[in-house]
Order: sequence, then structure tokens, then C-alpha cells
Amino acid sequence: MLLWVTLALGYNFLFGICGQVSFSHFAFYGIGAYSVVILLFQLHVPLPLAILLGVAICVVVALVVAIPSARLEGFYLALATLALAQLFVVLLNEGGEVTGGTGGIASYRLPAIFGMQLRGPWYTAVIVALLLATYFILRKLDHSWFGRACRAVRDNPEAAAAMGIDVARTKVVAFTLTSALAGIAGMVYAFVDNTVNPPIFGVENAFLLLFMVIVGGSGRHAGAAIGAVLLFLLPFWLAPLVGHHHVLVFGVLMLAAILLQPKGLIGIWDRFSR
Amino acid sequence: MGSILEVRNLSKRFGGLTAVSELDFEVREGEILGMIGPNGAGKSTTFNLIAGAYPASSGEVFFKREPILGLPPHQIARRGILRTFQHNRPFQGMSVLDNVLVGAHRLFNRNTRDEETARRVRAQELIEFVGLGDLAQADVGTLSFGQGRLLEIARALAGEPRLILFDEPAAGLAPAELERLAEIIRGIAARGIAVLLIEHDMHFLLPLAHRVVVLNFGAKIADGLPDEIRRNPAVMDAYLGSHAPHP
Repeated sequence: MLLWVTLALGYNFLFGICGQVSFSHFAFYGIGAYSVVILLFQLHVPLPLAILLGVAICVVVALVVAIPSARLEGFYLALATLALAQLFVVLLNEGGEVTGGTGGIASYRLPAIFGMQLRGPWYTAVIVALLLATYFILRKLDHSWFGRACRAVRDNPEAAAAMGIDVARTKVVAFTLTSALAGIAGMVYAFVDNTVNPPIFGVENAFLLLFMVIVGGSGRHAGAAIGAVLLFLLPFWLAPLVGHHHVLVFGVLMLAAILLQPKGLIGIWDRFSR
Repeated sequence: MGSILEVRNLSKRFGGLTAVSELDFEVREGEILGMIGPNGAGKSTTFNLIAGAYPASSGEVFFKREPILGLPPHQIARRGILRTFQHNRPFQGMSVLDNVLVGAHRLFNRNTRDEETARRVRAQELIEFVGLGDLAQADVGTLSFGQGRLLEIARALAGEPRLILFDEPAAGLAPAELERLAEIIRGIAARGIAVLLIEHDMHFLLPLAHRVVVLNFGAKIADGLPDEIRRNPAVMDAYLGSHAPHP
């Protein structure tokens, strides 16, 4: 759940603040997870280098997708990222020895750091640290000239350009940065259950992330966090009532949010706390 | 006084239509240059060519003696030409102060807290200068149309322009607001910022401008002091029609 919140915060920056509809956020989560596992256990790269290389892979893939898309209107980024997300899952399934195919890679273990084996509650502390770091980085960015430029680009690209903002570059930087953050979250995920396999990184979860941000309240960090927690827990609460049909409930919630409360749950909170 | 913006032989054709034809003029340092003409005379096209929104068919534009024609809009803005929009274009969901800070985008280069604080103080001063002092924290969605126009001006000034372009700033404003606007524009020129003002309201423009360029059918038909323009029969004919009374 903490990782979902981390992902939702990053996706909120990209979608809610910068206005870019992307479906590849989960693919980058997967790229981060698979990169670090393959680098560590098949290529036997030391951990710090594996992390750096994993981030570099995410950055390069993000740039390859974002640079051509940013020159076109927003819709093309959605298509390009959807294609990337699908392609990624196909590659995982067809990857043979390297990716472990449909079964993924399992039974590995996080190398010891300074002679210590992080596990159990200590590993939870790592996830919490990641969540907090992501939050503070994104909040700092949001309140800087870069965050304002992102919002300006989302709202009115022509006026943003007239203020000296390089619209294409702002989009590419925001996309690459949030994708790299997703990749780092993916690296942390890889050692939660010590297994990575293709179904986790499919397009369904990318849509779920979009739902989380919209239902919670796009453009707001608190909104993204609330949405992530709610939609993560909802299937557990709903299971006794509707079994596996919780996706239907998500659909209704999503429609309700778009039609009745475009500012999401955080918008309702604002109204009552005023 | 030297010229800050020089436009030479500027033309723009849209298919068979020549919107701007071999236009020559200059804006001098610290002056208010008015550009007038009836609807469809090519004023807005000229404006958009200078701001980089459209590519020109031919000609040259120099800003501080450097050619700028063909640069994308954000590069032109970064060199110190900032603009307002005829139809207000605030960034929604942000406060007035944050909107003005977006205008200062080109000046951010150090990424320090001091820089952010200094820019905020400066933005607040500009908001007060245009008369929106009480509304700095307000959401832009709550502004009236006239206040939105003032925000456009504060946002453009936040980038510390050497030249500011106004696209029909008087459009849609009430008479009381026009007086305030004229006062603000004079204040801007008094700070040494050159002003290029595109306007079709002559009654607003003539008392305000230091010099006036008149366009009709994309070509310049007159260029001179406001008094000369007032007395120029060709201008009156083209602009108001031959039966209209003189202002």
C-alpha cells in the first residue's frame, strides 16, 4: 500500500500537475524492478551500481518516449505510453531466461548492505523512507518555478510559452523525472516479496493508478494519497459483498468523481473544512 | 533615442490573402508606440509575427539589433519581449501571485530559497502596481474580466521585459477601467520599458501613444505623432469611413 501511495504521488505530479496522460507509469515501475533484479542476479553487478544503472535505463526509456511525443499534442503521449506499457509486458513474457518468461524471476534475496540483511520491519522502514523522500521531492518541486511552469503548461501552453517557458522541454523533464521515481519505487518493490512477474506490471494497474489520482483529487498530493489508500483497500472491503467484481465499483466511483466532483475527495474535504 | 525593435519589410500571406505587406516600423527605447487600424488591417497578425506565434512569409525583425524572426515564442520571451493576450489567459487553479510568478519564469536561474523569496516580493509589488494588492492570494477564477486584464499586465511585467506587447488591452473594459489602464501603461513607459500597443479604440490610444503607426489592408498608411494622425484625412477615411466625425 505504501508503494501504491508513492506511485500515486508521482503519477499525480505527471497527470494532475503537469496534465500529461500517461499509461506507462506502471511499466516504469516494472522496468525498475526487473532491471535491478537482472543486473544483480544475472549480471552480478554490485547493488549501488545496479540501482544507478536501473535509474539510467528508466531515464533513457522515458526520454525515448517523451521527446517525440512532446512535440505533438497531449493525446499522442497517451498512445505512445500505452504502446510502451503493452510492449513491456510482451517483452517480459517472451524474455526467456533473462526475464523468466510468464513465471517471472523469484527466490532471490536482497544483498546485505554493510553486512546487514534488511528484512521484515526494517524493510518497511525503507519503503516509508522512499515514500517520504518522494513526497518531499515532489512537494519541493511543486512549490518551485518548475512546478509553476508545469501547471502553466497544463493549463495554457500558449500563454506559458509567451512567458518564456519551453513547453516541450518542461513536459519531457516532468515525464522523465516521474518515470524515474516510479522506477526507483519498482526497485524497492522487487524485494518486498522477492519475486517479480509480468501480471503486476500490466496496463490494468496503470489504469488503477489513474483512477486513484482522479478519485482522490488530481493536482493535490493529499488527494493522490487518499485515492491510493482508498482504492487499495476497497477490494478487500468489497470482496465479501461482490467478490471479484470490485472493478465495476471502481468504474462507478470514477464516473461519479468525474461528473459530480472533478476535484475528487480532497475537494469534498476542502468544502467541509472551510 | 535608439530603437529597441526594428521591423523591416515584414510580410505574411495566408494562402492567397496578404495579411501584412512589406511593413516597416520601429519601437524606440522607453516610448509607447501605438498601432491602429480597422478590423482586419493586420494588427494582430503583426503582433503574432513579432511574438513568434506565426512564421512570417518574408522580412526581418530585430530586437536589440539581433534578429528574432523565426524563433519560437519562448525564446523571444526569454530575450525580454513579453506580451499580454487580448482574451485574458490566466493559469487556472493558481493564485494571482503564482500567476505573476510564472511571468517571472525567465529570471529564475539559481534555484535558491533567496531567489524565490526575492521574486515573490517583486511579484507582490507588481500586483500592487496594477492595483490588485488585496487579491494576491485569491484564486484567479474569482477575478472579474477587468481584474484579469490587470493580472495579464502584472504577469508580463514580472519577467522584467525590455519591450512589452499589448494586444488590444482596452477591449471589453469599462470607461473607468480604461483610465486606470492608461495610467498603468504610462507608468510602465516611465520605468523605461518600451511599449507596443495594438488597439482599435482611437479615443483610448491617441492621448496615450507617443507615436502612432496606422495600418490598413496589411500596409502602413501613416506613421507619426498622435496630432498628425488626428489631422490626416487618409487615416480618418480608412479608419472611420469618410462620414464619421473627427474625434
